[in-house]
Amino acid sequence: MNMIVTSLLVLLGVLIGTYCVAVLQHLVLLGPRHIGTAFLLPASRAMLLLRQENLQPRGADSLLFRSAPLLALSVVALVSLVLPLGPNLIGFDPSIGLFYFLVLLSPFVVALMNAGWSSNTRVGLFGTFRAAAYLVSYEVPIGFAAIGPVMAAQSLSTQHIVASQAGLWYVVWQPLGLVIYVLAALIMTFRHPFESALSGSELEGGVLAEYTGPRLLLFQVALDAIFLVLIGMGVVLFFGGWQGPGLPAPLWFALKTLALAALVLWGARFLPSLRHDQILSLSWKMLLPASLVNITLVGILTLVLTGGSR
Amino acid sequence: MIGSAKAIRSTHAGWSARAKQHPCRYFALDGGSGAHLFAALAGRHPSVQQVASPRHADLLIIVEPVSRTLASAIVELARSLPHPARALLISTSGTELDHFTSTTQADVTTLLPGIQRTPLLSLESLLDILRDFGQWPELEGMASTEDESSLLSLPPQQELELATELVVLSLGPVQSFTTGPLRLLLICDGEPVLSAQIEAGYAQRDIARAMTQVNWQQGIALSRCLDPLAPIASQLAAVRALEQLQGWQPTTQTMRFREGALALERAQNMLWWVVHFLRLLAAPHLTDRSYQLATALAAWTSRIWQESPSAWIRAQQNVESTVASRSTAVQMQLQEIGDGVDLLSRTLERNRAIALRTRGIGVLARERLVAAGVSGPILAASEQGAGDVRDRLLTRLRAAVGDVREIIQLLSVGAAASPSPICEDAPAGKATAEARATAKGPRGTIGVHLVRSGEERLAQVEWQRPSAALLPLLPDMLAGQKLADAEVIVASLDLAMAEADG
Repeated sequence: MNMIVTSLLVLLGVLIGTYCVAVLQHLVLLGPRHIGTAFLLPASRAMLLLRQENLQPRGADSLLFRSAPLLALSVVALVSLVLPLGPNLIGFDPSIGLFYFLVLLSPFVVALMNAGWSSNTRVGLFGTFRAAAYLVSYEVPIGFAAIGPVMAAQSLSTQHIVASQAGLWYVVWQPLGLVIYVLAALIMTFRHPFESALSGSELEGGVLAEYTGPRLLLFQVALDAIFLVLIGMGVVLFFGGWQGPGLPAPLWFALKTLALAALVLWGARFLPSLRHDQILSLSWKMLLPASLVNITLVGILTLVLTGGSR
Repeated sequence: MIGSAKAIRSTHAGWSARAKQHPCRYFALDGGSGAHLFAALAGRHPSVQQVASPRHADLLIIVEPVSRTLASAIVELARSLPHPARALLISTSGTELDHFTSTTQADVTTLLPGIQRTPLLSLESLLDILRDFGQWPELEGMASTEDESSLLSLPPQQELELATELVVLSLGPVQSFTTGPLRLLLICDGEPVLSAQIEAGYAQRDIARAMTQVNWQQGIALSRCLDPLAPIASQLAAVRALEQLQGWQPTTQTMRFREGALALERAQNMLWWVVHFLRLLAAPHLTDRSYQLATALAAWTSRIWQESPSAWIRAQQNVESTVASRSTAVQMQLQEIGDGVDLLSRTLERNRAIALRTRGIGVLARERLVAAGVSGPILAASEQGAGDVRDRLLTRLRAAVGDVREIIQLLSVGAAASPSPICEDAPAGKATAEARATAKGPRGTIGVHLVRSGEERLAQVEWQRPSAALLPLLPDMLAGQKLADAEVIVASLDLAMAEADG
């Protein structure tokens, strides 16, 4: 019973956080003077989409087309359960929490591939191919970047990783890991500047080109939510999770997550949209070698800092 | 229109007012004259956003004039909108082309019953209209057109290609990387484009023929429609040719003011193009900077001319110095804008991320351009650099800086001169039967060849159109490129389809 309640609380937190991400997106584009507009726009946009019709293209695979946004949301709900919002506020705390998180992320891209494939359009198909190409290219670096905190904490449990940062956040001695993690997270969530599977006028919206109304809204919520969850996991891995003085633990977690999300969204503004092959090059030629270097450095530093006692 | 000073500033409505505003996502349909409007609209207000797919749009915005060949695309687009579907027609009625609308122009209100129509007054008034779009009636059953199938299905040859592993992507005719409609058929083997075909003619208005059916004065007015985004260049080319026919030589002052008007028009066009291009590359930070410069230049342009250039760039009319403001404030602002564009140019030159997307693609050799009769910034980019997309971007920015400085010099020379108007006696020349003249437009040299028919009529009009010279080069340019680069390459050419189609 307790687990159900905490899971619902975590999901509620993710939902509120998702709205905050949508607001942040507008805020980094408009500037702080337009906070009112940024706050109201996502709600107004959602109301408009809810009133729109749900179009389905002729010849579409009805089951895949309709289920894709639900699959995406389900993935978000499942992976968010292992996010520790507080010392006792976690939906599900297995000893392999981080492994569970990384494994369950993959079906999110499958949901987007389903959306593009089932649309039975050429632009959707191209978007699907691009999304499929990214699938492995971000998973390897994100997994390797997450190994650093695991090595330092000697545990895959997300709560344990947070607890092990009581003295020093891992970002202090694993900054490279954070950079790799954030870049891979951006690729995974198809965020600017890695959004080529979803946008670009040559693909008219890519995999989501044929989605309208409530289904499009569900996808947009899922995309914002998965970004939030990945950034939240970044806070768990590198910024000490919910730990902090004075304020309640969930508030610390929320503040850190939103601050990191704002920083990432703001930084992305300075880059143009990258081409799909450039994304793959970045992933395989830069992020992967860098993540291997990071693992080596973290291994050495872990031995030095702990004196090989752990 | 976009030149209102208010367009730079943001309005700060109260919370209650903002709560009543409907966010609006629109799909833009530009018949050939709306590029600057859409570039300005896209960055004007956060609640009004342009989208790449009509499926994601609440509204279809169409800018007149729209040729008949585009009618089926309009209907198809309107049908792609999810319900409640609404559309807005931005009307440019009252132009010189009205005489010819019945033969070449589509009646959008008949094609899309229920469409809202508004005249183009200012960007602010357009935003006010868009804020209430939720109250508009929905589009009613759309009329079908005869050649609709040609747009819905690919040509038979391309359908055959689909039986193999190749994919044919049809981009357009309504797309965002040219000014006006153009259809690209890209035959792709995965991401690489194997070959490309183009379908032009969607913006054709037959200006040359129309000019032979009216008298000279009306012909000059019609010439402004050749390139709706650069009316001064095409008007000036026609004026110069007419003056040759009449054997009339304008004064030095007149020629200087004409060059000033041309330079300003070029700078404006180039800056709006930069805004559009950087938006296409999805570089928000740089787009914002270029948008500020473009709106500022548009705002100050309206203060430079005490009389609109269309009123004083006429055949056999000498211009007095009073057409231009010599205010120091105007000159200082222009200097600031010029410095801003220069800084943006240097920032872009150093920006490695932009170089990653633009360097080494869409290369055009100088010899090929010369052989094709290409002029303007495209040729300059190939002469001064490698001739790729990056060079074209930087060349345009440098040209914009030069144009802004040219007009500053014109104003400062004017200010230093005597306040009395310079009016030289026009030396009389010899009237001829035919004449050729050119004007340096933003996309290259616009030329015209006029043949006299009677006292007040023209027997033959032939235009030299810079965008038209580029169209045949497109298929070879795109072959071998990546799909994601195709739109960037085409956009880098700054094709004005109204001018290309004539």
